Order: sequence, then C-alpha cells, then structure tokens
Amino acid sequence: MNKKLTRAVGLVMAGAMTLMAGCGNAAPAASGDAQTTAATEETKETAAPSGDAKKIGVLVADVSGEEALGFRNYYEKYIQGNYDVTFDYTDALASAEDEKAAIEKFASKGYDAIISLSSSDRAQQIETCEEYGLYYAIASGVLDDEQYEKYKGYEHFVCQIGPSNATEFEAGKAMGEYFKNQGVKKVALYGAFIPNPMHVFRAAGVLVGLGCTYGDANDMGAVVGQIFQDQGIDPTKVSGDVELVAYLQGYGDTTTDELNAAIQKAPEAFLSVGMATTFFAQTLSQENIPFADIDSFTAMNSQSMESGSLKYLAGKYSSSIGPVFALVVDAVDGNVIRDDEGNAVSLNQGYLVATDKASFDEYFVNDNGDTPIYDKETLDGIIGSQVTYQDVKSLVESK
Amino acid sequence: MTNKKRINNKQKLIAALPIAALLILFAVFLAVVNMNDYRLDMYLKIVFNEALVLAVVATGAIFIYTLGTFDISLGASTLFAATMGVMTYNYTQSLALMILVIFAVGITASLLNSVLASVFHIPAFVTTVAMMSVLSALSAQIITSFGGALGGISIPSEVIKPFDNVGFKAALLIIFFVVCFFVFQFTKAGRRMKFVGGNPLCAELTGIKQSKYTIIAFVMAGIGIGLGAFLTLCYTPSVTTTTASSIGMNIFIAIVFGGMPISGGARSKIYAALIGGFSYILLNDILEIVIDSSAAYGITQVISAVFFLAVVYVTSMNYRTALLPR
Repeated sequence: MNKKLTRAVGLVMAGAMTLMAGCGNAAPAASGDAQTTAATEETKETAAPSGDAKKIGVLVADVSGEEALGFRNYYEKYIQGNYDVTFDYTDALASAEDEKAAIEKFASKGYDAIISLSSSDRAQQIETCEEYGLYYAIASGVLDDEQYEKYKGYEHFVCQIGPSNATEFEAGKAMGEYFKNQGVKKVALYGAFIPNPMHVFRAAGVLVGLGCTYGDANDMGAVVGQIFQDQGIDPTKVSGDVELVAYLQGYGDTTTDELNAAIQKAPEAFLSVGMATTFFAQTLSQENIPFADIDSFTAMNSQSMESGSLKYLAGKYSSSIGPVFALVVDAVDGNVIRDDEGNAVSLNQGYLVATDKASFDEYFVNDNGDTPIYDKETLDGIIGSQVTYQDVKSLVESK
Repeated sequence: MTNKKRINNKQKLIAALPIAALLILFAVFLAVVNMNDYRLDMYLKIVFNEALVLAVVATGAIFIYTLGTFDISLGASTLFAATMGVMTYNYTQSLALMILVIFAVGITASLLNSVLASVFHIPAFVTTVAMMSVLSALSAQIITSFGGALGGISIPSEVIKPFDNVGFKAALLIIFFVVCFFVFQFTKAGRRMKFVGGNPLCAELTGIKQSKYTIIAFVMAGIGIGLGAFLTLCYTPSVTTTTASSIGMNIFIAIVFGGMPISGGARSKIYAALIGGFSYILLNDILEIVIDSSAAYGITQVISAVFFLAVVYVTSMNYRTALLPR
C-alpha cells in the first residue's frame, strides 16, 4: 500500500512539475527584454488599432532567440505604431499540428493574413490558409524548389522573401573562406540545431569555405546530403588544410562539457552557424577565442563585436521582414502582387556581413533607431494599389 | 442517514464531478467564443481536432493505467507509427497498406513494452522510458534522412483529405470507445485488469497471471496508438520529429482530469480519457482566448497545474474511506 501511495504521489508531482515547467519556456517570449516589452506596451497604448485595422497572425517557433525578438519588436513597435494593423503572435509552435491549429484559430477570429516564421510544415500552412481564405507569406526561410513550384499559383500565397538554402550555404562558405584567408589552421565548429535544414546548409558552406571535404565531397548537394544522413558532422570525415578539432551541436545538459572539451583543443577560431552569442559568447570571450556566427544584428552581438571576441557576423537585420508586411497589406487591400509569370513573389534576401564594430553599427544602430532600414517611407513605396512586382523586386535587391 | 450511505453519496458526487466540470467548461467556452465574436463552428472543429488524438490514445492507455502502471512512450510510439505509415505509403502508394502498417507498428511497439517487462521482470513503466528514447531516435533518424531539406516526411494531402472530416473522425472515436468500453466493463479481461491494478498480490494468489493482462492492456493501448497515428496523419499529412511530442504527458493529465484514480484498480473509468481529454483542451482554449496572447502560455500552464492538483485532491477524497469501491 505504501508503495502504491509513493507511486501515486510521484505521478502527481511529475504531472504538476511538467505542467509548471512550461512556464519557464515562455518567460523569454513573454518578456523579451524589459525594453522590448515596455516599447510594445507603449505601442499598444499609442497606436490602438481602429475598428477596421488589418489583423495579421504571426506563426512563430522560436519565441526567445535574439533574432525572433528583433523581428517581433520591429512589427509590434515600429510597424504597429505606423500602420493601422494588429499583429497577434502565437506561442512557440512545436509541430505541424500546432501550426495548423493556430491558423484555424486565426481564421475563426476573422484575421486577414498569416505571416510565417515557423517551418514545421510550410506546405500544410499554405494549404490551410488557402482553405480558409487567409493571405499567407513566409518571412523566414523559403520553400524548396519543388514545393514552390507546387504552390506558387495558389490564390492566397502572397510571397516568400528571405535567404534561400543556396544563400544559407553561401553565407557559411563566405565565413569559412574569411577564416581560411586569415590563415587559421585549427577551428571548432558549432552546428547549432542540425538537422534544421538552414543550419545544415550553413554548416556545409563553412566546411567548403574552409577548403575541406566532407566524406570526400565538396559540392553543396553531396555535403548537405551527408550531413542530413549523419544528423550532424562527423569530424573524422572532414579533411583539408584546416583542421576541425572539435564539433558540437544542439544545446542541453552536456553542452558545457562539450564546449570545455573544444576549448581544451585550443582552436584558433570558433565558428558557429547560429546562436553562438546566446550560448557561448561569455565563455569564448573569457578564453580569448575569437568566434564567428550567422545570426542577427542584435544588442548582444554588438557587445561581443565591441569587445573584440566576435570577429565575423553574417546577419539579418530586424526590419528585413518589412517587405513581407508590405506585400501582405497590398494583398489584403486587393492588390495581390504577382511576379512576371503570374506566380507568388519569391525573392532572395542575402546576409549582411560585419567584421568590425563600424560595419556592425552601420546595420545595427541604423536599423534600431526611429528610422529602420525598412522604415515607413521606404515601405510606403511598395504599399498601394499601383505597386508592381518590379517595384518590390527593385527595393528588396537594393537593400 | 447512515454513515455508509453518506459515504456512498459522497463517492457518487465526486464521481460525477469530471462530467460536471466538462459541461461547465463547455458552457464557459461557448460564452467566451461568443463574447469575442469568433466563429463558433470553426472553433468547435478546432477543439474537436485538438482533443481527438489525445482522447483516442488516452482511451487505449486507460487499460495500462488500470493496472497501476503507466506508459510514457505513447507519444513516441504514435510518432513512430505515423513515420512508418508515411514511409510505407511513399514506397507502395497503397493507402490500405499504410493503415495496416500504422496499426501493426503501434501494437508491436506497445506490445514490446509489456514483453520486455515480462522477460526482465521489471515494472512496465521502466521499459516504456527506454522505449520512448529508442522510438524517438529511430523516428528522428528516418525523418531527417528522408525528409532532407524539408525537415519532415509527408504523403500527398489529397490522399488523406477524404478522411479529414469531423463525421468520419467522430465515427472512429465512437467505435473505438464502444469497443474499449465493452472490453473494460463486460469482459473477464477487463474485470481482472482492475483486480490486478487494485491488488496485484491478491490477484496473483487468486491465480490471475499479471503478465497476461499486462500484455492485453498494452495491445489495447497499441490499437489506440495506431488509431491516433492515423488520425494525426488525417489532420496533417506530414510527420516531423516533433509530431505527437506532447501526447505522452498530456494523456496523463487528461486521464486525471477525467477522474481516473492514478493508482488504477477497481475505481478506474474507461470514459475518463474521453472526458478528461476534451476538458483539458477546452480549458487550454478558454485560457488562450481570455488571457492576452503574449502572456497566455505561462499563465495557462500555471492555471492548468492548479486545476490538475485540485482535481487530484478532490478525486483522492474517494480513496479515503474504509468502504470498498462499489
């Protein structure tokens, strides 16, 4: 009987703890940093939408990353303050089922459009939006070619504007080449959240940029294919002029030990394909190991760049998602912009690279002030009933 | 009124609480949806879809919980069954074969838990912990290897579209529930499972083989897993590494919400999963609508946790009596 009671109490505790554990996950999303929240609150008060404000639902998977918070801040602070629009963010969506349910809920609430920053199943998102008559746009990543071909003619699929997989590969390759040209001979590599496709393409690019082969291959398709197969990078399969002394990925209980082990191997540079600042900046700075990342122009990265520990950043800036908003507004207002062949707009956005504080601030300071790179004046140029695909293309390619 | 009668009435009242809670939650849900001018028909469909897989898998899992044990690998098993189903369809283009494989994998995965527990003479829930890791890893390997840059594997949506309607899904749910209800309430196996869960030693001394009923319980749970995996694919015809990830623990919460005693035994109720599953989803959706979205997730979890503890406390009042269950 005692055993039974113990088991029962244990089960109750486990259940309650699991429920409550969820609270921790949401804290960064809900609060962001104090400044962000305060600004958001201020915006809500000063720019209360009118009765016929456009309502846009935003699907998000990452609710706490610096990049995600930067995007959210731009939409909720700047865009919501300057346009008659309401953004409604989801909680962190963990699966394709969550994404579909979120879209259905937005539809039942009478929303006009969906902007997606979540990528569990983009095809399903498009089909669900089509079913419910919601305009749909992708603001982070893009569909693969086969999927784009299938969905480009859907009536409610507005656009995808962001780095393509090839661009992700090139961003990694440029980073690798930079350090190779600096004469670095030993590196550690952080694969972030491989097998996340974006991180796989970036990591493959880094290896190729360093002049290395992976499993004797050095072209994008073959290297990417092997990384997917291995679900990570096996250092024994890497060969070339630059030695990969350590590799780690993900973030969990063993990450600190793995990082320490990597540091013990004295790499000349720590190359990351995402979120290094969030996880490792402090330790790497203390150990005087220069690092590089593919991330965003954020406050934390600014500090690392200033301290000299961050040597290379390929990043997006927060207002880079401005054109997606503009095209969605156009669509809701009746001007669904199509490319020259009558399909949904698909434009590639490259990364901006900073290798010192001056070049970093050129993007970061400007984008975070009152006049972000995609400010109201700029966006107004592509919002309206007469706006064409060429107008949008020219603007996006000019930034 | 005699003391015995008073206790009996109290037990009946407490037993009716989960149903009352479901009705109250439903009424509140209707009110908040109407107050916000949301489309009720659409929101009802959303709630149904959200609760369906949970209710189906949890109904199968009731047999395991009745034995006084639990299975933490249910989510991973559902993911694995769905993964193998998608792979089968993509290789054979046969929907019938896909469904067959989904059920076969669901039952096999579940059965393996009970067989391992019997072979190694360890509590079944221990094997389910190991199985959860194995099945998750296998699924992840398959999904990432074959999903590549898409990050997931899928079947064409038009294949499964005819099944993605409330009528068909509700029919499946009702049929499965009726079968489970019959086995649980009207068969020797159902009665003996309650006996084993209530007092394993006494059951053993009476000549009831615990391992036999553990296997039957896991087979029933396996059917629930297969059906849950199929219904998951009906809703979204793609499988990623996070598909069904929340089911395992949500089942536990749903069953408790439905008034099932967590120690199993004679007071176990087959309808607890159905009631609890829908109650839990309704509660979450109400909180999501009522509370500001930017803070909803944290507050929702806190309120759910308080609700969970309250339900366990109230239902446990039923155990604090010298009377045998009746």
